[in-house]
Amino acid sequence: MLRYLARRCAYVGLMLAGLVVITFVIANVTPADPAALAAGPDATPDMVATLRREYGLDRPLPEQFIRYVRDVAQGNLGRSIQSGNAVTDDLRRYVPATMQLVILAMGFACAVGIPLGMLAAVRRQSWLDHAIRVVAVSGVAMPAFWIALLLQLVVAVWWGWLPTGGILSISADSPPTITGMVLFDALLAGDWPVFGDAAAHAVLPAFVLSLPCLASVLRVNRTEMIEVLGSDHVTAARAHGVAPGRVVGLLALKNAMLPTLAMIGLRFGWMLGSTVLVETVFDWPGIGLYAVNSAIASDFKPVMGVTLVIGVIFMLSNLLVDLAYGWLDPRTRSA
Amino acid sequence: MQRRNLLLGAGGLVAASSLDPAYGFEREGNRRILVFSGNQPVPILDPHQRYDWSTRMMQRCLYDALVRYEGSPARVIPWLAEGWETSADGRTWTFRLVANAKFNNGDPLDAAAVRFSFQRGLRLNKGISWMLSRHLKVENIVAVDARTVRFTLERAYPDFIAFLPLWFIVNPKQVEANLDGDDDGQKWLTNNAAGSGPFRIRRWDGQTVMALEAVPEYWKGWPMSEADRPAGVIFRVMRESAPRKAALQRGEVDIAAGLTPDDLQQLERMPGMVVTNDPGAAPFFIMMNTQRGPTADVNLRKAIAHAFDYEALITIHKGDATLMDGPFPTVTAGRIALDMPRRDLAKAREYMARTTTPPGGLELEYLHVAGNEVQRQIGLVLLNALQALNIRVNIVGQPWPTLIGRGANPETAAAMTAVYVTPVTTSPDTVASQYASSAAGQFWGIHQMRDAQIDAMVAEAAVELDGARRMEMYAAIQRRVLDLQPAVFCMNANQRWAMRNYVRGFAHQALNLTGEVDLYTLYAARS
Repeated sequence: MLRYLARRCAYVGLMLAGLVVITFVIANVTPADPAALAAGPDATPDMVATLRREYGLDRPLPEQFIRYVRDVAQGNLGRSIQSGNAVTDDLRRYVPATMQLVILAMGFACAVGIPLGMLAAVRRQSWLDHAIRVVAVSGVAMPAFWIALLLQLVVAVWWGWLPTGGILSISADSPPTITGMVLFDALLAGDWPVFGDAAAHAVLPAFVLSLPCLASVLRVNRTEMIEVLGSDHVTAARAHGVAPGRVVGLLALKNAMLPTLAMIGLRFGWMLGSTVLVETVFDWPGIGLYAVNSAIASDFKPVMGVTLVIGVIFMLSNLLVDLAYGWLDPRTRSA
Repeated sequence: MQRRNLLLGAGGLVAASSLDPAYGFEREGNRRILVFSGNQPVPILDPHQRYDWSTRMMQRCLYDALVRYEGSPARVIPWLAEGWETSADGRTWTFRLVANAKFNNGDPLDAAAVRFSFQRGLRLNKGISWMLSRHLKVENIVAVDARTVRFTLERAYPDFIAFLPLWFIVNPKQVEANLDGDDDGQKWLTNNAAGSGPFRIRRWDGQTVMALEAVPEYWKGWPMSEADRPAGVIFRVMRESAPRKAALQRGEVDIAAGLTPDDLQQLERMPGMVVTNDPGAAPFFIMMNTQRGPTADVNLRKAIAHAFDYEALITIHKGDATLMDGPFPTVTAGRIALDMPRRDLAKAREYMARTTTPPGGLELEYLHVAGNEVQRQIGLVLLNALQALNIRVNIVGQPWPTLIGRGANPETAAAMTAVYVTPVTTSPDTVASQYASSAAGQFWGIHQMRDAQIDAMVAEAAVELDGARRMEMYAAIQRRVLDLQPAVFCMNANQRWAMRNYVRGFAHQALNLTGEVDLYTLYAARS
């Protein structure tokens, strides 16, 4: 198991190195000049040169790359040319908001997707199964951007049930920072009005973000459940008179959950990437919105920083899934 | 968790979600807080580093300048300076400060602070520095006494005063108390303010929400009654137009900028909404590459200008635009109306005949900002119009940074590039300079024009002290620019904001940048 773990960690290291190279190359092949953009439309060549010097953009590309790799290795992701802030400081501020959104979305997707998958499998080919599958296909097929705007219009504007965007009401005071995630911080601090306010703001973005994942969880769980429910050991359990609820809820679900869990792990990293659209529509102050604002201004250091963070989380979730598989099924360790 | 706590949380959720749209604005006690929404964040608040529209709007709330612009047409009025004098040779400008101005932390705002601020602006060589760096050296700014400051310019420059509304005064004591090495306070002033303006910062996240609270004892006083004075203002950044419109409808936002023409048209018909419609000052050009490719031929440029369908521009803007009647923006001093090219195919063919167009016609690239629907539609108008000249138009949308990057060099600049320009002052020198060789490759200079005659005229006009003679010189520059036709001079789109009908104090200022409003004068009516 230790050799397996070392091999997987080495793969992650290689992938990280690849990611660092790719993000650097992509940021530097575009014809945009971040210094000229940050200096403004009326800036003189001398002013642009001042910014280039300040941010090391006047150095040859190989030198910039070596500095970048050295800084990344030391946990320094550079400075935003638009704000002058250290990217790591910005990420520290914005990552918790995104994590809150992703945790809520993932929680919702699992809480709804797994039971619905089970139900569809148990009532296979019934009208209920068909209805659930329609929901699953719709969740994957409908663009998140469109659903977000639609829900904003109907739920927030027409019905007036929920706010249109943001993470907290403007007049609400943030709870004391514990995790950095306002909803959970309000919960831990027992600040119920702020908790309610934060929850109201989180409902729509978390719901929209969860939909593709919910649909995937549902479909995978349904398929696996159908397969497991038809297997010999389940048939044997039924023949021995084990209660139907116990057969489905314990025996079948336990076996069907393995691929579902793997998929959830992968979806977690994928969801972080999806926050770009959702956070833009709902003005959610997370890394997705930060990446969009930075990309529009050709502010490459923050974009590279966000890419790296998402990449690392994605790889780590993959690693955990791999390790879990290796632990549960020793045959995969040699693969 | 106890059931009672759960109920409290649920109660909070219900309370948070049951705001009445009609009274949705923020309050503090019995005073209202005005909420403005636009699409552009404010990453750097420091007035000596940045001045785009959203940044300047916030800077005007937190800082004061010696003078400021007011009204349409824009004129310079005294602010921190109660008056000024200019020497006969036009080089020395002496300003007398008002007696009661003070910073929001209580420190007096004196001539030393003015000197410090101008020196800092020049020293940093960022943001506003380009306006004065050619004309003013740091050692030539002198605090004569506590209320008098003198600037001695390198040479006469009548436009000096036109730039001063953008030179905000910072408190030297606060800046010096927050230095980070030799950064001149840049890091601290990115998210903090050291000003004397009508508001102070309450909460600041330049990417999403900026909350300011009013300074009741603001040295200049308030333009509305004490009862109407707002408790503060909030700038909520919302990237997309649709959510901004939704927030306005729901009452979460009181006034919004940057809405699409379709959104504005819908809002105009809704009860409780007011949509403004004032002449804009940010002209739209189709810049042509005057140095490389077929458009280097002035006859082809003139042929394109005469083939273009200008009336279609008005249709695209649903009537809310005015065609340009000269190469200078409407706010620029000395602007004259000229006999501009309009669609005249006979004339266009006449110019075309003078070019060396290949027999099979030619193809020209029209580059616009990807995702900008208005610019894309204008490209379609161009495509349609130029078919009559056997010119095929290849419409290409690219991200804004790429467009600017390509335009920096005549080799990579497209034959035609869609560009909106925003004049920040009334200075004719600034605008005329955009057609000089030194501007080639800069944003306004995507046309890449290099003309020795214009270069000489611009240099001469900049230092001319006789006002009438100077305006004649700028008129000559405008005629010369039109002769060279570096662009299709298109239109000024109207400036439009949507607001709830209880918002008062809105005054259109022609020099407001893009979505900028003067938040100092705005308030919510007590009805």
